[in-house]
Amino acid sequence: MPARPIVGFFTLALLGLSGPVAAQGPPPGEDLKATIALHGFPCDQVVDSKRNADSDYTATCKDGNRYHIYVDAAGRVTVKKL
Amino acid sequence: MDARRQPHELRSRRFLSYDCNHADPVIQAQARKVTNRVGAPLRLIALPLLMTIVACVHDRSSRPVTAGPAASQPASAPVAATAATPQPGADVTAPAPEVAPTQTNAPGNPPPTPSTQSPGGQSAPATSRTRPANPPTNPAVAPRAPATSATPPASAAVAASAASRPPVAAAGTLDLKGLEQRLRDTHAIGLFTKLSLKNQVDDLLAQFKAFHAGQSGNTLDQLRQKYELLLMKVVSLLQDGDPALASAVLSSRGAIWSILTDPKRFAAI
Repeated sequence: MPARPIVGFFTLALLGLSGPVAAQGPPPGEDLKATIALHGFPCDQVVDSKRNADSDYTATCKDGNRYHIYVDAAGRVTVKKL
Repeated sequence: MDARRQPHELRSRRFLSYDCNHADPVIQAQARKVTNRVGAPLRLIALPLLMTIVACVHDRSSRPVTAGPAASQPASAPVAATAATPQPGADVTAPAPEVAPTQTNAPGNPPPTPSTQSPGGQSAPATSRTRPANPPTNPAVAPRAPATSATPPASAAVAASAASRPPVAAAGTLDLKGLEQRLRDTHAIGLFTKLSLKNQVDDLLAQFKAFHAGQSGNTLDQLRQKYELLLMKVVSLLQDGDPALASAVLSSRGAIWSILTDPKRFAAI
């Protein structure tokens, strides 16, 4: 029974935190581009991105390369070239 | 008429027992004469005396004001010379003492700080105002200052150091938790990027942990390269959106490295 209020609190806290971050942070394309670059893949510009699930995106770069970017179960950001 | 004939004692008694309410006009006239006799030479003396006192007071009051700028003029003069006048000699000599202290202060920092300062020849004066805090502590600067000019640069360096000590001290100290919090809070990088960076930082920390435990295949040089690469990634991600944080990270590069390489301090992280 006490798990519900805790989950609700954390959900609210996450929403409260992610709202301003999403509003003031860089656009998703820039974030994905930086993530792809951090993993050593070439991407000069993300021209298209599709959200598959929470923390799971498919990005298309200007040079035609497509990448699957997601957070795995261990909490690591993974970039896979498609 | 009788009063003039009165003996001197009586007159003096009357004069001494002078009452304003019941004043004798004759005595009043005599008193005026006496005061006139005494007052005339006094005025002659007092006027020049007053003038000299006024002159002295003015001189005294003006001396500290002129002495202040006289002492501070050398301090401000080189700054003004470097800031306003683009004299080649002054520009060449002014930044020189700034580079030396940064090299001695933070062993890990020298490469980035001169590179960021040197390209902008016009930005040198701006740094010269904040940087000269170290010249007094650095003996290598002392010989250079007399070479350019006699004593003013030394006093200028002292004056400038007094003005800009807090920033240098702040740059020297490392607030690791504050830096981490600023990295968390910055909006210059997105969530995916932050998480990726955190993963890479954790990986590097694990490698350092293994290195200190003697179980790592990496040498310290290899770890240094990885550390520098990761730091460059962080700085390059921050430099457009949050240049202040980027420079803070860059300036604390040497301090972080010293923590990473020290087993005791690393264990305390």
